[in-house]
Amino acid sequence: MKHWLRLHGLAIARTIKALLRHPFSNGMNLLVIGIAGAFPLALYMVISSVAGVAQKLPVEPQISVFLKTDAPAEAGQSLYKQLQGHTELQQVRFVPRDQALKDMQSAVGVDDLLAGLDNNPLPDAIVLKAKLSTPALQLERLQKELAANPIVDSAQLDSAWAQRLQHLLSLGQTLLQAVVVLLAVALVLLTGNAIRMQILTRHDEIEVAKLIGATDAFIRRPFFYFALSQGLLGGLIACGIVAGGIYWLNPAVADLAHAYGQQFTLQLPGPLEAGVVCGVTLLLCSSGAWLAVRKHLRKFH
Amino acid sequence: MIQFQQVTKRYPGGFEAVKNLSFEIQSGELLFLAGHSGAGKSTLLKLIAGIEKPTAGAVLVNGQNVARLSRTSLPYVRRHFGLIFQDHKILFDRNVYENVKLPLDITGFNGMEAKRRVLAALDKVGLSGKEKLNPISLSGGEQQRLCIARAVVHRPAILLADEPTANLDRDNAHDILELFKSFHQVGVTLVISAHDETLMADYGRRILRLKNGQFTA
Ligand SMILES: Nc1ncnc2c1ncn2[C@@H]1O[C@H](COP(=O)(O)OP(=O)(O)O)[C@@H](O)[C@H]1O
Ligand SMILES: [Mg+2]
Repeated sequence: MKHWLRLHGLAIARTIKALLRHPFSNGMNLLVIGIAGAFPLALYMVISSVAGVAQKLPVEPQISVFLKTDAPAEAGQSLYKQLQGHTELQQVRFVPRDQALKDMQSAVGVDDLLAGLDNNPLPDAIVLKAKLSTPALQLERLQKELAANPIVDSAQLDSAWAQRLQHLLSLGQTLLQAVVVLLAVALVLLTGNAIRMQILTRHDEIEVAKLIGATDAFIRRPFFYFALSQGLLGGLIACGIVAGGIYWLNPAVADLAHAYGQQFTLQLPGPLEAGVVCGVTLLLCSSGAWLAVRKHLRKFH
Repeated sequence: MIQFQQVTKRYPGGFEAVKNLSFEIQSGELLFLAGHSGAGKSTLLKLIAGIEKPTAGAVLVNGQNVARLSRTSLPYVRRHFGLIFQDHKILFDRNVYENVKLPLDITGFNGMEAKRRVLAALDKVGLSGKEKLNPISLSGGEQQRLCIARAVVHRPAILLADEPTANLDRDNAHDILELFKSFHQVGVTLVISAHDETLMADYGRRILRLKNGQFTA
């Protein structure tokens, strides 16, 4: 055990030496890993910030059904009754045309809106409030059904913008997955190549070490430590870039949200996000190292 | 201690560098390997250390067939040897001290005792005070001594030296051979190759003469 620790201690010491021997190229490499990690993390922070707010917004999905003005009153009432029995709706309200006119007059602040008209041009309406748990698809289906009803003039789904936001968020998530996959491959290749270069430059040392009795594990160890340190430091740099960027952007984001009457800022990456990012970069960099070491150390005997 | 049983080594391309050799080296022996360039001396030494594998026959070291060793156990067998390479294989990206310490690093041996051993090895070969130098600044004879220090620092039971006196003047060559003699006196088994036989004669030991991969009288 003590022996094992000593071997690893030596390997770590040699890794640090190797890192410091080429501070510029290793620093550049770290920065590339950091930037590669920063992209998906930033995207994730934006998506989760927006999703967090989108969930809190009071978006009671609502369908306004406007009946045709010439529709028979009984037909309107029977549709109203029928909708009251619908399980996905939490409230069904019938708004007679006279009521609608009064509402509008009080809203606009004019007493006699109809001064120049013969009669009330507004139709009877039924306003449906769906339960929050109702899936968007089901609401859309209901809206289409209602729109197809011969006594209905039009049916409007008022939560359309919330749905658009949902669509946008799921698009963002798909994009995030694609970015993660692409950058994961890039990181593996990048580390693999960095390790390959190191094996090339340390060719003589590896050759002599193997000839005088170094085990494969001894030869591999410093490359793995190198990859692990690159993964860990690269992940931390990614978190730093994103945290710094969000910190810098947030005042502007808050101002923008304020202009729309909302309170909104982007969340900073927390310990969980940082842990995941570092864990993933660690894993990817060591996979790259593993591939390179497997491929390029085999020729030594 | 080392046994060759009808060993043939054919390199890729078909050239037979060692042809059907059988011989034995006793523990504690000082053996010279003579022969012109291309006779197969380096190949024979590499076969002993398991760096090359015989095409036919068997090389036994302490009763173990070196060619049959797994990739994981071969390193541990290599550590019984001290190897002095014909092309030196000195690492010029580190100083003399670090070059000599390499065999100890490999076994995870470090700390004060390791330092003491490296300094002792350097002292033994006459390189005291040159620890911090880059090997590039050493003379040919000093570089050869560095190789010897690196080969003995982990106190191997068998020392294999491939033309350690090549490219050295007569005085330097004699000093090096005296050094080997002192290892011999403390019980180390030595196999030393050289293309110049005149030096060996002075030491009156057993000499194996190679020509085209075969022994001559
Ligand atoms: N790796 C190799 N591949 C092919 N031929 C080799 C190889 N190493 C040595 N030889 C050939 O084997 C013969 C013996 O070489 P070597 O053992 O190095 O002889 P020596 O050390 O006595 O000069 C030479 O003809 C050499 O060209
Ligand atoms: Mg040779």
